[in-house]
Amino acid sequence: MAPTRTIKNKHAGSKSGAAGGGKGGPKRSSSDGVSKPKGKSGPKTKAPATQVKGRPNLAGLDKRKKKRVYTEKELGIPELNMITPVGVTKPKGKKKGKVFVDDRESMTTILALVQAEKEGQIESKMMRARQMEEIREARRVEADKKEAERKAKLEDTKEVLRRKRKRAGGKRDQEDEAENVKSYASTGTKAAKPKKKRVSFAAE
Amino acid sequence: MRALTDEEMKTVLDKLANYMSDLKSLIAPLEDGDRYVFRLNHARVYYVKLSIANLATSISRDALLSLGTCIGKMTKSGKFRLHITALPIIASGARHKIWIKENGAQPFLYGSNVVKAHVGRWSEDCPEHQGCVVYSMADIPLGFGVTARSTAEARRLDPTGIVCFRQADCGEYLRDEDTLFAG
Repeated sequence: MAPTRTIKNKHAGSKSGAAGGGKGGPKRSSSDGVSKPKGKSGPKTKAPATQVKGRPNLAGLDKRKKKRVYTEKELGIPELNMITPVGVTKPKGKKKGKVFVDDRESMTTILALVQAEKEGQIESKMMRARQMEEIREARRVEADKKEAERKAKLEDTKEVLRRKRKRAGGKRDQEDEAENVKSYASTGTKAAKPKKKRVSFAAE
Repeated sequence: MRALTDEEMKTVLDKLANYMSDLKSLIAPLEDGDRYVFRLNHARVYYVKLSIANLATSISRDALLSLGTCIGKMTKSGKFRLHITALPIIASGARHKIWIKENGAQPFLYGSNVVKAHVGRWSEDCPEHQGCVVYSMADIPLGFGVTARSTAEARRLDPTGIVCFRQADCGEYLRDEDTLFAG
């Protein structure tokens, strides 16, 4: 940065002339007409800068060599890593300010555009809803069918079991009746009563 | 006060199109040769006759409190919020409607959502999350909202299930009296 600054200062001095308020102002004004003193005065001013860089004898080269100024694109800085966000930067050369919509024609065009877009959205929404409804309906029918099948199967098995029981139960009933008659005959009907549990305290 | 930019106009109309089926009637020329326009002042959008808007140009921005019908507010992020004051405009061309019974009118006007038990009837073929206008059974618009379920789904819903999410109701005229028209 140091060498470029000195060069810039020199140019500014030569251009402004009398206005230059720096240390070398009057010197330069005297040497404006001549090209040589410029060269002389150049190294004088540049001497500390070149010394810093460690290249004392390349004064002329420094003069020609300008420090390259990189553009933001060349540096490859990520776009988000900037002071102004990406969306905020406005294109150059474009007119400042807002463009208002006030005439009827442009309003109608915007209106038609918006309405068409909205209609499309709603239509697609409805279509999707209908499709989903159809799928749901089909699923419900399927589930109902399965449920009915299961119920029918259950009923069938129940029926089969009932029949089996009836067949086996006919023989069993006769046996049970015979046993009952025997017990009544031996003990009487009152004897069938179960004994009550009793609690008594020991007498003193 | 200024006219809307095309971006803003698009946002406003997009929002209105959620609730209305016929937008063209909004800017149709009137019998006396006048027409309605949209104007923006202090982030609020007004729907106003052109002749009145032209008269209002003689009043400075700061001094102008309100004009025409305030239909909503532009947020700082560029979205648009409809206010209850837009109800007469929306209700004139409503796309979907819900009528609520008398027992549901009060809860709605106090700011709650519409539950199925309160619904008297609704327009058929209404999809989910679509703007709808809420009417009383006497066909008086009470507010507007967004459907929570499609009509078919809502039929299967239990009585306490929400059918419509409230966006604005007439109760706001009292509740938000201070900030409704001018900020």
